[in-house]
Amino acid sequence: MSATRTASMSPLICWSCRERALGPHFCSNCGKIQQLPRDVDYFAFFGLPRKLWIEGAELEKKFLQLSWQLHPDNFVHATEREKDLSLERSSQLNDAYRTLREPVSRVEYLLAIEGARKEGEQKQQAPPELLEEVFGLNESLDELREAKAGGGDLSALKTRLEAAENNFQEKLAEVDEQLQGIAREWDAALDNNVENVARNKLMARMNDLLNRRSYIRNLVRNVAAELTG
Amino acid sequence: MAYSDKVVDHYNNPRNVGSLPKDDPNVGTGLVGAPECGDVMKLQMKINPETQVIEEAKFKTFGCGSAIASSSLATEWVKGKTVSEALSIKNTDIVRELSLPPVKIHCSVLAEDAIKAAIRNWKTKHGVEAAAEEKVAH
Repeated sequence: MSATRTASMSPLICWSCRERALGPHFCSNCGKIQQLPRDVDYFAFFGLPRKLWIEGAELEKKFLQLSWQLHPDNFVHATEREKDLSLERSSQLNDAYRTLREPVSRVEYLLAIEGARKEGEQKQQAPPELLEEVFGLNESLDELREAKAGGGDLSALKTRLEAAENNFQEKLAEVDEQLQGIAREWDAALDNNVENVARNKLMARMNDLLNRRSYIRNLVRNVAAELTG
Repeated sequence: MAYSDKVVDHYNNPRNVGSLPKDDPNVGTGLVGAPECGDVMKLQMKINPETQVIEEAKFKTFGCGSAIASSSLATEWVKGKTVSEALSIKNTDIVRELSLPPVKIHCSVLAEDAIKAAIRNWKTKHGVEAAAEEKVAH
């Protein structure tokens, strides 16, 4: 596996032995735990390139290994500085693992560090072809709430909503499949050192899919809550 | 986070909730949504083709209090205005009027988009006719 985009880490000077400390976590010279260099992202944290295909078992293995190495129990007799670093690093490790473990949050994170998705700053567009359906579904949900409150007939409404829920679940599966497809294209683009324009296009498509996904997921959640409640 | 009094007022007493006949040639419909919170907003206006005055405005919004208040306020503001006056309403005007906090600014953006989308829809309905008339004239 090529690790082209991991190598952006700049080696720091070790705070303890004053040598250049290679590697993101421990000094390659004296073995002391290091402050995390600012440019180490969650991928680099695990020594991974910024690729979207990550073998779950491999990631878990790296996670377990690092949590063992960074665990505060190993630093009981160390200096305060090392204790602090181990605590800080262990919590970063958990965040990094949680983010990269889920394929969707992995894509979100990648787009965030690549600057293609900034919450709030950039205006996110809602998928227009979905709006009509979403609006209709919300109206049905309203009807159901009213019928519940007024003791009206629920069965017909419930059947309709269950059908809608299934329909949106299918859409969710479709979006996930499309995301996987683009993720593969992204990885191939990294392997082939494709120019930025093409990479940005891929990121824009992933961004659209993520928007679509969050929209559908919220709907499914609302419908499910209303049907069980 | 607490809502401002004006947001609460619009939320509790939303103005102009409802819908207008979508197929009426004088009715423009704008349907917009914000993916970050899953809000959907439908804003409709009935526009007099002679005077270009917005005679009626209705909305229906599924979303948070700020989204409902923003669209409610938008319908109040566009009523009685001409199309070009309505197009000059900026989301920042809504932010100011409702004292929306930064995290809710996208709700006001949505309302501005809805006004524009409704007018665009109305123009398309009439633009098609206008283009046809032009053809005849030439």
